[in-house]
Amino acid sequence: MNFSEIKPQIYNYLGFRGVAESLKTDGAIASCLEELERTAQFNCLYKAFEEAPDFLNKPPYEGFLRGTSGVILSVTTLGAGVDRLTNRLYRTDMSRAVVLDACASAYLEAKSDEYERTLGDSLTYRFCPGYGGSSVEDLKYIFEILRPEKIGVTLSESFFMLPAKTMAGVIGIGKTVKKTCEGCFMLPHCKYREEGKRCYSSEKR
Amino acid sequence: MLQLGKKVIVFDGGFGSELERLGLSGIPEDLNITAPEAIQSIHRSYSCADIITTDSFGLNRVKYHGAYKLADVAVQAVKNARAAGRTVFFDVGPTGAMLEPLGTLSFDEAYDAFAEIADITKDIVDGYIAETFSDLYELKACVLALKEHSDKPVFATATFDSTCRTLTGSTPEIVANTLEGLGVDALGVNCSLGPKELMPIVERLVNSTNVPIIVQPNRGLPVLENGRTVYKLGVDEFDEYIEKMLEAGVSVIGGCCGTTPEFIKRISRFSGAEVKKRTVASKTIINSANVLVEIDGVKICGERLNPTGKKALKEALISENYDYLVDEALKQQEAGAHLLDINVGLPQLDEKKVMPAVVKKVQEYCDLPLQIDSSDAAAIEAGVRHVNGIPLINSVNGEEEVMAKVFPIAKKYGAVVLGLAMDKNGVPRTAEGRFEIAKRIISRAADFGIQRHKIMIDTLVVTASAEQALVKETLEALRLVGTLGVKTALGVSNVSFGLPNRPLLNRTFLAMAMTCGLNMPILNPLDGEMTGAVKAFGVLSGDDENSENYIEAYKDYTPTSPSAVISASQKAEKNASSLYDCVKSGLKNKAEELCELELLNKDPLTVVNDILIKALTEVGELYESGKLFLPQLVSAAEAAKAAFAAVGRHMPKDAEPKGKVVLATVKGDVHDIGKNIVKVVLESYGYRVIDLGKDVPAERVVEAYEEHKPIVIGLSALMTTTVRGMEETIAALRAANCTAKIFVGGAVLNAETAERIGADYYTRDALEMAKLLDKLFPTL
Repeated sequence: MNFSEIKPQIYNYLGFRGVAESLKTDGAIASCLEELERTAQFNCLYKAFEEAPDFLNKPPYEGFLRGTSGVILSVTTLGAGVDRLTNRLYRTDMSRAVVLDACASAYLEAKSDEYERTLGDSLTYRFCPGYGGSSVEDLKYIFEILRPEKIGVTLSESFFMLPAKTMAGVIGIGKTVKKTCEGCFMLPHCKYREEGKRCYSSEKR
Repeated sequence: MLQLGKKVIVFDGGFGSELERLGLSGIPEDLNITAPEAIQSIHRSYSCADIITTDSFGLNRVKYHGAYKLADVAVQAVKNARAAGRTVFFDVGPTGAMLEPLGTLSFDEAYDAFAEIADITKDIVDGYIAETFSDLYELKACVLALKEHSDKPVFATATFDSTCRTLTGSTPEIVANTLEGLGVDALGVNCSLGPKELMPIVERLVNSTNVPIIVQPNRGLPVLENGRTVYKLGVDEFDEYIEKMLEAGVSVIGGCCGTTPEFIKRISRFSGAEVKKRTVASKTIINSANVLVEIDGVKICGERLNPTGKKALKEALISENYDYLVDEALKQQEAGAHLLDINVGLPQLDEKKVMPAVVKKVQEYCDLPLQIDSSDAAAIEAGVRHVNGIPLINSVNGEEEVMAKVFPIAKKYGAVVLGLAMDKNGVPRTAEGRFEIAKRIISRAADFGIQRHKIMIDTLVVTASAEQALVKETLEALRLVGTLGVKTALGVSNVSFGLPNRPLLNRTFLAMAMTCGLNMPILNPLDGEMTGAVKAFGVLSGDDENSENYIEAYKDYTPTSPSAVISASQKAEKNASSLYDCVKSGLKNKAEELCELELLNKDPLTVVNDILIKALTEVGELYESGKLFLPQLVSAAEAAKAAFAAVGRHMPKDAEPKGKVVLATVKGDVHDIGKNIVKVVLESYGYRVIDLGKDVPAERVVEAYEEHKPIVIGLSALMTTTVRGMEETIAALRAANCTAKIFVGGAVLNAETAERIGADYYTRDALEMAKLLDKLFPTL
């Protein structure tokens, strides 16, 4: 993976907004990414459907999937080792824990993007339950269908996934759609937008 | 049963793809009741296999939320599988919930869920297969439950990824050692990958254990084709790899995701064939979930988690301040210990309760295997049971009564046992006397089915000041015991008791003992002279090939030169400005050190007001103006916290410079990044923080309020779904007439939500909260 590509996103997560990057932080990021390469166990599970599973036949998924020829449900994760590492760093080196956490988020996204590119060219971005007014409770349908416990991913009663660095998403086939802020529940309070930035890279499909 | 381990046994194949082919959807377990004919027809299509597994992968009380009673589904699942007319194994899958410490399901809750399954089915099935586990700890809970609640054979398989680790980081060797220790009938790998990709894992498994190996691969890796996920590996190729696996010594074969009756029909040609003979040499191995240690050469057992003679540890154990123990554990790991001894023997403690609590806490953060050290058999069992992996037990001795109590525990959990070469008559004065006891221990262990490689012998150190002539007996006993083919241990530092310059005697004795074949010194790994002696011995004995470890440890070594020492007065001049700079740049250790020096000639409050507060204020301003960022803010807070710790040591005992703050991530939420940052920042501002952790129920917060009477309670939630838990916690606090101010924070919160759920304040980050507290409580 090309670390320099995900560096801006890591700075973004760390709260660096449009100012000069620091050498010290650069060093911390580089060493955290190296540690992630050793610790993370990226794993993915997906299933494609010509017809969308029932739970997607409602807004906002309907609108998101309009004009697509099929749908992919996917779960990607960095595995439990990263959670363990983060927890330990909170005891021994809090500042590094903060950097590692930001790096892991960006690393998972990049890994997931990389793997999605192997699935085909004409795909929408990953729409995750919770986006655009959808409910995180819809995760339960994805879990029923994919059974991601096979790759060590679990869903709690309050609908968070563990390991912490895990994403579950809905991807439309046959159409290219980029991410926007439209419908985001954080929109009225978004810290990124206050600074004229976005939480995602607008280059991304 | 089917001559397991002698003749090849064939399991059935994938179930999901068959359900799909028949157009059956919904919760697969419920289909046992709603569509029994269809389920039976799938089972019948696999009657070419020797063993049929039930359609019950998700059937346990944690995971199953279907329409029927668990017991009804389980019984019907067995009936359906019987339709194939073959041996029937009950399929047991993971709970689908993450176990503690990463998740919220306890080991005992997971155990209960699996035990319930065994209780329902033990009289109607022929065996169990626990499969597709990715967490070694959950797999241990499952195997223990199945074995303790039934007497049927138990097979167990884990899933691995292409890096040959389970998703929680266990290697094939670790999984094999743990499952062998727990006494499963067959162990191996299922699902995960295709047969080709599984080969490296299979090779490592067959070289790790003599227990029969079971492999159930997927039909290759799935590919996306015309909007559908399909498996494309052909029957011929699948069969070809299965044959290779059998050549490597695998005993039991079958298929997982994507495999169909066609695949099983083909590989059933191997059913009843001779299993290839293999012999794996037995080694003395202990392991955690992530680290495996073979006791060979010299391995260091860290002795510092033992309250004998350690006041701070004693106090930490009594006040349940297990964070202190975790820090001690991590320091020993960092210093090069290979495993850690845990002893919680204090008269005022219930060892049976404290031991598992400490074991769980230590293994949450520390990767090393553990040695459970107690003279109380019940405490040993409670500890060993909750170890994630295979521990060492310290100890038995030559007394029949002790062996009769401890050996059954060691056998059941697969632990290695350390035997002390003494008995009710005390420590024999001669090497031969101790050798005789060692033989007795080994032979008695064999009566309990414990093999020699699971035994280690401590030939016992005597103090040179009291029994000078006996020191050489200890060493001679090491040599004699070594001839029995068991590994040896010694608590080396006892030798110097009562004499001056103890470190010199300790490391000299250690070198002598290693030369006599000592495998596991139990010592303080923070003593660099001792660990250094072990590294040097590695070079001189030839164990450390090409001196690699030694060179790695000492490549930057420079002897201390006297001219490098700056005079004390020169240092003092620099301190005032540099403590300020240290806090600002987040140099934690330096800040504490410099603060101590400052405190030599300034009173604590002057140091706080003139240096620490000023530095923090500047850091705060830089952060707010966007010139410093979260990692730097956190570093500075950590440095200030370390300096405050030094200040605290110089304050009068009853002084509490600022008030108490109780922090918790609410019930249902395990995200504690934000809360941890708040903790360190508030501590750096001088507040005393009581951190209740994550997933904290409302009652626990109310209890903490009543116990600590804090000025502020801070609640954190990351998810929209857990804000509900926050609201309930606030309601419970209000009902208990809480007078503390309630602060809330977390990604999904804002001032409106905070008001709606009844909180007093919302702050968007840690610094804002610290500043608001200073404003609200100026007199503190």
